[in-house]
Amino acid sequence: MSAAWRKALFGLGLLLLLAPVVGVAFHMPSFGDHPLPYGDAINEGAPRDRHVSNAVSAVNFDYRGFDTLGEEFMLVTAVTGAVFLLRGSRGEAVTSKPGTLPNRPIAARSDAVWLISRLSGPFLMMFGLYVVLHATVTPGGGFQGGVIIASGLLLLFLGEGYRGWRHIMHSTLLDILEGGGALLFALAGLAPMLLGASYMQNVLPLGTFRDMLSGGLMPVVNAAVAFAVLAGFSMVFLEFLEETRQPDKQG
Amino acid sequence: MTVLIWILLLLTAAAGAGIVFSREPRQQVLAIAGNGLVLTLLFTALQAPDVAFSELAVGTVALPLLFLVALTSIRTDRKDPPRVGQP
Repeated sequence: MSAAWRKALFGLGLLLLLAPVVGVAFHMPSFGDHPLPYGDAINEGAPRDRHVSNAVSAVNFDYRGFDTLGEEFMLVTAVTGAVFLLRGSRGEAVTSKPGTLPNRPIAARSDAVWLISRLSGPFLMMFGLYVVLHATVTPGGGFQGGVIIASGLLLLFLGEGYRGWRHIMHSTLLDILEGGGALLFALAGLAPMLLGASYMQNVLPLGTFRDMLSGGLMPVVNAAVAFAVLAGFSMVFLEFLEETRQPDKQG
Repeated sequence: MTVLIWILLLLTAAAGAGIVFSREPRQQVLAIAGNGLVLTLLFTALQAPDVAFSELAVGTVALPLLFLVALTSIRTDRKDPPRVGQP
């Protein structure tokens, strides 16, 4: 196809798109307006029916929990795929030498990086734990807290260097946490069925409003998500960073 | 509040354009991290702290790290060292 044809086709597409785009742009609801009743219904129902003050968690782990189960297994599958691809070409062994360009020295870690990482890493992990535990009360939840904890673990890598970091990160433990989290989620969904309720129906006592353990089944599901996300992200970090190392044997 | 949101929307546009117009991969990764930070501020201003948490951790830490590692891996796997000054 010649350049002139391409331009003509592009112009035609632009003309066809322009009218609908302009039409939509002038009929949008005004900024901050929410005409749909779903949000208001959740905001009213979550504190009353589930004793939960964070409506987002109520949606994720209860009202729409089955969706989250699908997302959970999506994450597990993605992490498994990444680990499978990377380990498949490299093996499970830990390599000792950092990979580097020829004739390029590896700069020593500065004291500032060391200090800041050691100070803020544990704080960040503690904050992640706080976000996980208060999923049903304040903003955040298993996913957010899990990723924050994994970021804190990354800071430990910056502070301690690769060898020290690998000493802390046991990939078997991460495997167990990852799979165990997903399993716990699925089991938390199946358990109500033993009582004759439907899948993921909230049968546990709901607790008191604004309490850390409020929401019945939600804290369990939340913990499952936190385990799987924390381990999943850490595992991806681990496998990716291992890729930057020099293989011990060539070929 | 509205002024704040307008400023953040403009910043978002600027940060997004920054990603597109930076052509060197490592600069682009840092531009992505900057964009994640701006989006985090925007989500916070729009009172969506849950999304802001996710954006902060995933968009500013995890994604740029994985990109940087991939770039490192490509550079160090090469048999011939890349020429200095060439993107």
